[in-house]
Amino acid sequence: MNELIALALTVILVMLAAAYARRFGIGKEISLSGTRSIVQILILASIILVLFKLPLYWSLIVLLTMVAIAGHTTYTRSGKLDKVFPAAIFSIASASLLMLVPFFLFGIFPLEPQYLIPTGSILIGNTMNVSSLAIDRYRGEIKNRRNEVEAYLALGAGPKVAASACLKQGILSALIPSIDNMKNLGLVWIPGVMTGMLLAGASPFTAASIQIAIFTSIFAADLMASNLLLHYSTSSFFTGAAQLREDLE
Amino acid sequence: MNPVHLELKNVSRAVFRRVNKTRVKTQILSSLDLIVQRGELVTIMGPSGSGKTTLLRLINRLAEADSGSIMLNGKDIKEYDPFELRRKVGMVFQIPVVFRGSVNENLAVGMKLWGYENDIYALARDCVIPLELLNADAEQLSVGEKQRVCIARALANQPEVLLLDEPTSALDAASAEKIETLLLNLRKEKGLTMVWITHDREQAKRTGGKRYFLRNGRLEEDHE
Ligand SMILES: Nc1ncnc2c1ncn2[C@@H]1O[C@H](COP(=O)(O)OP(=O)(O)O)[C@@H](O)[C@H]1O
Ligand SMILES: [Mg+2]
Repeated sequence: MNELIALALTVILVMLAAAYARRFGIGKEISLSGTRSIVQILILASIILVLFKLPLYWSLIVLLTMVAIAGHTTYTRSGKLDKVFPAAIFSIASASLLMLVPFFLFGIFPLEPQYLIPTGSILIGNTMNVSSLAIDRYRGEIKNRRNEVEAYLALGAGPKVAASACLKQGILSALIPSIDNMKNLGLVWIPGVMTGMLLAGASPFTAASIQIAIFTSIFAADLMASNLLLHYSTSSFFTGAAQLREDLE
Repeated sequence: MNPVHLELKNVSRAVFRRVNKTRVKTQILSSLDLIVQRGELVTIMGPSGSGKTTLLRLINRLAEADSGSIMLNGKDIKEYDPFELRRKVGMVFQIPVVFRGSVNENLAVGMKLWGYENDIYALARDCVIPLELLNADAEQLSVGEKQRVCIARALANQPEVLLLDEPTSALDAASAEKIETLLLNLRKEKGLTMVWITHDREQAKRTGGKRYFLRNGRLEEDHE
């Protein structure tokens, strides 16, 4: 019963928000993305419901699908540079997986779809966001600092050296929101996992411990994924003869 | 007669400009030829936008020619490892770009890349960089000082050829004169081959080298 009320409220809110947003010319967009999100999350709920009953490898398939979609999103942010798609998939997948393992290895969570899917998707979603920010900034830095990059190349430096200052800036600016979030954890906001657990009746201490574990894992995964991605993307900005490409968008 | 050091044959290069969302092809260099002997200095003049910078960028392969061939010591530059080619063919840009860090660190880039044992003090002396500037932040130097750092940084690679893209045009008259003297002295002392772009005919004459004019994508000798 509760869930029906919550859904009805959501629909009403989306309609109201869309009606209000019409004056900014984004009414249609809001109603569309609002509807999309409701439908998607309901589909997700049904999938999870089914997954709970299926063998574990099905959950892995779902996570891999998420990784593929996340990789594609990041790839689009890069200006569709070749090689960035596989690089994004690889970096998001390996960073998320690596940070996922300890939770189940040390028995923080039982290895069941009910735990695997939400934790996995939190990690994948976060690494995707940070990777997109990082590659977008990296590309922007390389474009804006063409002269510096080419001055390095003209000395006989390779792309890695020539772009290293840009890479650093890309990673730094992508991680700033995460660092700020970490600083303000518990001050400005109660993060999602803790909120959920509290709402579901867990003790505040349990909720806080799980939250901080997930939080630091997210940060470590972000750091790792953005580093891997930018590292493997560098050559996409250059030609085979170590020339900075002229067609960077 | 000295042996041929650098030879451009039939070199062409077009660029695409975006005009109202369509790409318009413009031929910048068309069947350009140039021969430079070892130790020779040539100057190239031409109105802005005529393709002088484009030409230099082809020689150290920062950009690729559409057709034709460029030979260094009788070997096509495409057969060189691009990094080694750029070590041999140094470049000084119109607007000096220094890297973050001290002057010292800027001068050491080449050494790090190539493992050379350069004497930084000698390098600084050759390029008229006061020793007290060596530890200064490179980004805070004047444009003229930056240009000297860039020249020294290029020389640290121990190049055979130096490409100079209007090396004095961003400077005030006094600094410009200093850089000009510096470059002419370096050439005398080190026997460097130089391709020097300038928009200043008087400067071109002062260098005493062969003078070319870039017009309609080709080089014409300037006899004026
Ligand atoms: N990568 C490029 N894309 C588009 N246009 C270019 C590119 N490089 C140079 N150009 C154009 O080619 C012309 C010649 O440029 P440049 O070689 O810099 O001239 P110069 O050095 O003689 O002033 C200019 O009109 C410039 O706008
Ligand atoms: Mg120019």
